[in-house]
Amino acid sequence: MQELRDLASFLEQGETQRVTSLTQQLLDAGISPQLILNDGLIAGMAVVGEKMRNGDMYLPEVLQSAGAMQASLKLLRPHLAREGVQSRGKVLMGTVRGDMHDIGKNLVGIMLQGAGFEIVDLGLNVTPEKFLEAIQDHQPAVVALSAMLTTTMLNMKSTIDLVRAAGLSPNVRIIIGGAPVNQNYADQIGADGYARDAVLAVDKVKQLLGISR
Amino acid sequence: MNNRYTQALNGQKPDRVPFLPAIYEHKAWFVGETPSKVSRDSHLLIGALTAEYERVRPDALTIGVDVYNVEAEAVGCKVTYYDDGDNSVPAISPQAAIFHGPEDISSLTIPDPRKAGRMPMLIDVARTMARTLGKEIPLRGAVSGPFSLAAHLAGPQQLFLLTMMQPGIVKELLGFAAEVIKLYGSAFIEAGCGVVMFDSYASSDLLPPEMYQKLVLPPTRRIVDHFHEMGARDIPLIIGGNTTPLLDAYLDTGANNILCDAKADPQKFLEKCSAQKRAFRRNLDSAHFEDSTPAETKDRALKSLMASNGYPGFILGTGVLPYGTPLTHLIAIREAIDEFCR
Repeated sequence: MQELRDLASFLEQGETQRVTSLTQQLLDAGISPQLILNDGLIAGMAVVGEKMRNGDMYLPEVLQSAGAMQASLKLLRPHLAREGVQSRGKVLMGTVRGDMHDIGKNLVGIMLQGAGFEIVDLGLNVTPEKFLEAIQDHQPAVVALSAMLTTTMLNMKSTIDLVRAAGLSPNVRIIIGGAPVNQNYADQIGADGYARDAVLAVDKVKQLLGISR
Repeated sequence: MNNRYTQALNGQKPDRVPFLPAIYEHKAWFVGETPSKVSRDSHLLIGALTAEYERVRPDALTIGVDVYNVEAEAVGCKVTYYDDGDNSVPAISPQAAIFHGPEDISSLTIPDPRKAGRMPMLIDVARTMARTLGKEIPLRGAVSGPFSLAAHLAGPQQLFLLTMMQPGIVKELLGFAAEVIKLYGSAFIEAGCGVVMFDSYASSDLLPPEMYQKLVLPPTRRIVDHFHEMGARDIPLIIGGNTTPLLDAYLDTGANNILCDAKADPQKFLEKCSAQKRAFRRNLDSAHFEDSTPAETKDRALKSLMASNGYPGFILGTGVLPYGTPLTHLIAIREAIDEFCR
């Protein structure tokens, strides 16, 4: 549908006004909010993710697109709720102890919300103990750990070790992301997954939860 | 005087490749204290620098622990320090941003390095180190680069968005940041040290190179030129991540000793830096130290050295070393250098 392709294109260009205007137009025309989300917003962000990975888009543009997505989601949410669209699962996220970087985490949160997940965001500088307490309180399906520095990535391991020692796995799956980490590191510290960027983080969460679409 | 580093900066081949491991918060480990404590205590910092020199024998020293925070703190951002033996690095939360819009520009004040925040303490340390070790090894006071300082003042996410939505405001903020850095860096030079500038928020992993060129290069150039006028001949500029796309602008800053981080292309750096007779530091990825043996680190170091093709301006370094990194990896890198240069 051309209008959904247009929506994806406006999102890619970070044109928040045009994204929200077209979202409202489509809703008024009776188009399914799930379709708007999947074929408009998520499709657009997938292109953004690909371009960022290839070095064709940089953080300021990605943030603009994410902002446009967030604005559109705000319009879609009540309609999704009315359609009885259920949360696909709860994801608990945070930047590990000693780390004050949150841009990547925030992008992952926006993308996961867009994909239908409920997010509990613990914020920055989260100790292993706080993660554990939050897991016990919120019972998430997935925990997403973020670190931006070689100094702080070590706290991903201490968080995972604490969670495992508390006997909470395998019900809680843990994924990691951030500039200094990679799949090797994820394997080494016993994480269930690693994602290179926000778009791939959604794919990884779906994969871990056995969600095909 | 250990002239190795200075010789590399001058394009003269030293007796061996200079070694510059990135020891910032890890300094505190040498005196058995936390980064939060050492970053706020001149005696502890002097002890840490001296111990780093004696145990690691790098070819230059950096006077700084949390190298990105000092100017922002002096302008008014709150730094989170850690107590009770916590080894986390002091940091500024995005929520501590003090610049929220154009109306805030006029209320920002350039801090006086003799009085503001930790600036006087660090200048005092620089002065002492210049007296005690200044004749033995090059010393550089750590200063922020303009984009990274602006990122703390505005909040990083907000600053990146502003580069798209209100570049004029970003230009003003970067102009303010440049004045702060010029004054602070000048104090280090007057204390008898050099300066090393850190600006990793401007990395081309994050910011488009054309935006660096348009917004960040002019104030950076002004800072470097100012330090040159103050008598500091060579200003290293550290921008982490894959800065290969940024290389031309990086060299246009006038900095000497630019960073070829682990993810950047060493061949491109070698080609362009040798054409402009500029030194560069090639980093070994410190993230590997967690899961590698010293022998594997030595092997990686040798590969990097061989790829340098004997370029006189080549310096070998590491990514930032986490607090408590065992010395075995640094010893392995030194062995690789000694072997390569025999």
